[in-house]
Amino acid sequence: MVTHYLSLSVILFCLGILGVVSRRNVFIVFMSIELMLNAANLGFVALSRLHVNMDGHVLALMVMAVAAAEAALALAVIILLHKHKGNLDTNIFSLLKG
Amino acid sequence: MLTTYLFFGLALLAVLGALGLIIFKHPMNGAMSFVVTLISLAGLYALLSAKLIFAIQLIVYAGAIMSLIVFIIMFLNIQEKDLPLDPNRWFYVAGGIIVVGPIAGLLINISRTLPATEVTVFDDGFGSVKEVGQLLFTQWLLPFEIVSILLLVALVGAVVLAGKRGVN
Repeated sequence: MVTHYLSLSVILFCLGILGVVSRRNVFIVFMSIELMLNAANLGFVALSRLHVNMDGHVLALMVMAVAAAEAALALAVIILLHKHKGNLDTNIFSLLKG
Repeated sequence: MLTTYLFFGLALLAVLGALGLIIFKHPMNGAMSFVVTLISLAGLYALLSAKLIFAIQLIVYAGAIMSLIVFIIMFLNIQEKDLPLDPNRWFYVAGGIIVVGPIAGLLINISRTLPATEVTVFDDGFGSVKEVGQLLFTQWLLPFEIVSILLLVALVGAVVLAGKRGVN
């Protein structure tokens, strides 16, 4: 049933939110964001199957391209921050705080 | 019937992988557990007869993006003592469940109001490379071009950020 797929998508998205909220390791936070993008993708593809319409597949492709761009930029930023601070703690990365 | 069993098996694997991601302490263990989630999601796309998305999930997500992340984790050579301490992590998990749980229940109940269609795998062109490609290059041509510009900008930005020499 398509509703099972949507429920799984909701559960995975909530697990991603829990990962972002509870962890301080910047890699885990980043991969939790990827998990949320994947959950949204599963929702797109499941609704696309429900309506027998392929627009959801194209949207999932777009989300994957955005995730790839995000991965490249985020990893560059992580390397820079690790070079400057020598740490992976998100609480240390408060450079923009006034 | 087989698709139902496959769905529940893959869904269980996906949830277990996601739980491992937010529980394991070392990011390498978390990344390996996240790969399990990504591969089982690829299987779920195949069950939803999204053939192109299935292949791209395996190649781009489980292949390219995750190998990039694992490469960076190994490149930074993270030891046990470099990991941030999470003293009140379970406190945040409990707070997050209290906030997120009702929203999740609401969304799952909303999804129950949708028509209950059985998922059968189509063996015609639905979701194949040709059909999705035709849609992508006719109706979705402008978003496709915008995404290509986004990828170019991200590439230039990553080179500028990570490729600095002698700046400390």
